Parts: sequence; structure tokens; C-alpha cells
Amino acid sequence: MAEVHVIGQILGATGFSESSLFCKWGVHTGAAWKLLSGVREGQTQVDTPQVGDMAYWSHPIDLHFATKGLQGWPRLHLQVWSQDSFGRCQLAGYGFCHVPSSPGTHQLDCPTWRPLGSWREQLARAFVGGGPQLLHGDAIYSGADRYRLHTAAGGTVHLELGLLLRHFDRYGVEC
Amino acid sequence: MAAAGPSVFLLMVNGQVESAQFPEYDDLYCKYCFVYGQDWAPTAGLEEGISQITSKSQDVRQALVWNFPIDVTFKSTNPYGWPQIVLSVYGPDVFGNDVVRGYGAVHVPFSPGRHKRTIPMFVPESTSKLQKFTSWFMGRRPEYTDPKVVAQGEGREVTRVRSQGFVTLLFNVVTKDMRKLGYDTGPPDTQGVLGPSPPPGLPR
Repeated sequence: MAEVHVIGQILGATGFSESSLFCKWGVHTGAAWKLLSGVREGQTQVDTPQVGDMAYWSHPIDLHFATKGLQGWPRLHLQVWSQDSFGRCQLAGYGFCHVPSSPGTHQLDCPTWRPLGSWREQLARAFVGGGPQLLHGDAIYSGADRYRLHTAAGGTVHLELGLLLRHFDRYGVEC
Repeated sequence: MAAAGPSVFLLMVNGQVESAQFPEYDDLYCKYCFVYGQDWAPTAGLEEGISQITSKSQDVRQALVWNFPIDVTFKSTNPYGWPQIVLSVYGPDVFGNDVVRGYGAVHVPFSPGRHKRTIPMFVPESTSKLQKFTSWFMGRRPEYTDPKVVAQGEGREVTRVRSQGFVTLLFNVVTKDMRKLGYDTGPPDTQGVLGPSPPPGLPR
């Protein structure tokens, strides 16, 4: 069986209008993949930047997969939330990106979006906060029911992921 | 049957904790240590160190330079738990107490070659304003009991932090027998010090 190691960090986020941000992340893979070590999902700390406008999380990611096939290459899905001084959390964006498929270190910029509601909900969000959220998290990384959504852009999440592949050449896979 | 191949690979890291940028603080020193998984063991070199105290230069750069050497070799059977270097920066506050100015962590790069990494440094923050004032006044800021927590992902969801500076590190990485064990680490870093460009917001 071929093995894949994903070793890196969720560095931080830029471009969001709110400042105290945290990110909930998870990894989704196809049926041929098995997670041997590492945690499949997590949540970063809440960061309020003093210098500049990038929120830094430096959240380590260390995953070890074994795979029997190429389908279902791992996808990292992210939800960025902001926390205000009262401790309330508000959705700032959803995003996903595929884990890179060539070995080495990669800098990734993952764009995010958030669902817009009706004009009433947008007005309420501007004054009171809150706003619509997805019921099922899998719409973040699957294309199935996306046509129903109307969304606006959020900021960008920056990741640095390193990929280590093992025994891929034994199976004739080029990457 | 051919002779058994190696079962262990080696990772040699050397380099330095080069410098820091903390716009609001001065007279800083840093401590580094390595955090790694259960399959890893250091075989040579120093796993931890404390640097000298440095002050900002008088010129326009306002640079905080440590130039503090790092030299360690690890052996392992499994890349899971790849070593991370954890940095903690400390400095004096207004009253003369030693308080923490930032924690940061980064994985040691795994492609052989020369790499430069600039990492953000953050401090844990109290939630209430009263607690912030008393901790400033008493000189006892919130800090982690074990800085190695910074290298883990679990348990972070309850912490609030403030990022307030950057530290630049230089690494030279050499690996042995990773290819014989079937691992492909990607192209060696032929760009030298100019590694992948940092995301916007990080100072160059």
C-alpha cells in the first residue's frame, strides 16, 4: 500500500473584515484511504493580531494516510469564524482545498466564501451579527447541491503543507 | 534475497535562530526546543538552548539579532511526528520582571537544502480586562506551563492569543536513507535561501 504524509501548518488568514479569528478544519478522503496516525479534524486558537492585519494560527497538521487507490485524494475543508469581545462566534467563511499531490513543500492560499441570505438577513447581520450557516458541512467540499447557494467572498486562508509520498513509484504512479 | 535494507532514516538539521522583529519590545532572549513524535529520537546535537539577550540596534533597521546556532540529528522509522522547533521569546516588562513575549513553532523542512522560515510569535491573552490589568501590574502574564503545547494541535480551541512579532530561522537539512525506504520528499530546494515566498502580511 502506498503511504502519504501531510506535514505542515495552517498559517493564518488575511482579508477578513473581522479581527479575532479562528478556524475549524477537517480532512475528508475517499473510501480507499485510511488514516493511520494523526487527528482528522481540529480547531485553531483565536488570534487577535497586534502587528498588521493577518491573523496567525500556526496550527500544526501531521497526517499519515495509507491508500489503495488515487480516487478521493484528501481534501482539507475549513471554516473561519470570528469571536467578538463577548465570546459570541460568527461565521466568516467556508473554504476547501485539495492536499497537494506532488511531494515537497507547498504554499497554499485557500479562498473562502460565506452564504448570503435574504436582504433582511444581511441587514440583521450588519447590525446584530449572526447570519446563515450551512446545515451540512459537506457542501463545503462537494459540488453536489451548490447551485442552491448564493454566496459572497470572504478572506483567504494561508497554509503551508509538505507532502511526503512512499512507494508511489512501485505502483507506477507519477507525481 | 538481497541484504535487508535500512529500517531507520536520519534527519540532520543545522542552522540558526537568526533575528526577530518585535516592534514594541526590546532586550529579548529566546529559548528553543524540539518536539517530535514517539518514533523519533535525537542521536546527536543539542535539543534545547537559550540564547543571549539582544537589544535593538541604534540604526534605522531596529534589528534584534541573535545568530544563535542550531545543530541536531534525529533518527526515526516513521515520518509521522516530524520534529518541530518551538521557540519562546522572553523580555523584561516595565517593572523589570521577565515576561513571555511570544511563542511560535514550525516543522523542520523535509526537503534537503537551505530554507528560511519567518514564523509569527503569539502570546496567550486573558479574556477579561481586569485580569489583563492585574497581570500587567503584578508582572505575571499568562504563559504556557510547558511551551511544547505550542507544537500540538489539540486543546487549542479554548485559547485566545495575540500575535505580536516574528522570528526568522535558517535551516540546512540533510536526510539519509529516506529514498531507500521508499520516501519521496520532492525536489531539493534549489532556490537556496529564497524558499517559497511567505504569505502577504509577513515582513520580507
